[in-house]
Amino acid sequence: MIHILLACASGMSTSMVVKNMEKAARDKGIEAKIWAVPEVEVENEKDHVDVILLGPQVSFLEDEVKTMVNNKIPVAVIDMMDYGKMNGEAVLNQALELIGGGK
Amino acid sequence: MEGLEEKIFTIISNVGTAKGRYVAALNASKKGDISLANQLIKDGDKFLIEGHKIHSKLVQQEASGEGESISLLLIHAEDQFMSAETVKLLVKELIEVYGKINKLGIS
Repeated sequence: MIHILLACASGMSTSMVVKNMEKAARDKGIEAKIWAVPEVEVENEKDHVDVILLGPQVSFLEDEVKTMVNNKIPVAVIDMMDYGKMNGEAVLNQALELIGGGK
Repeated sequence: MEGLEEKIFTIISNVGTAKGRYVAALNASKKGDISLANQLIKDGDKFLIEGHKIHSKLVQQEASGEGESISLLLIHAEDQFMSAETVKLLVKELIEVYGKINKLGIS
């Protein structure tokens, strides 16, 4: 089971990307728990995740979050175009690449 | 609604990226690189303008009576927009201040 955490300003828009990612995961037959939180919640969730993806609207937090997780978990900003198109499959692929093909 | 959602997401991702550039500009000016800071502001503006174009189209549609329904998501996009604009305003002021501080050689 892969745990993918998405974070954005309020968790609202990103939760819609989560829906599309879950669908993409189902289509690929990948077992994944994907959820979205406001950026202030990352600290509380960081211990149970395999990868953290940030919405482009909080891209400036990338370094801060990397420091928060001591670089032990991959952290990246979701591609702007994929986010704009709510492309769940592309974002899922980005997450899978970051954790090196999944666990 | 699906087309509208995509427009809203494009606003969010553009103005959000703009905000990211503005915050990066602030960091650059803090480190003394004022010309990089100014470049990052310009970069950010390109994204802000993209977001603005889509937003103003939605506003114009509404004004002409062809508006789509207002959703929480749209309000959220406007919130992100406003936040990016506010950050830009403050960062531009701070770049000037950091520029002066850097010249004085105090930190």
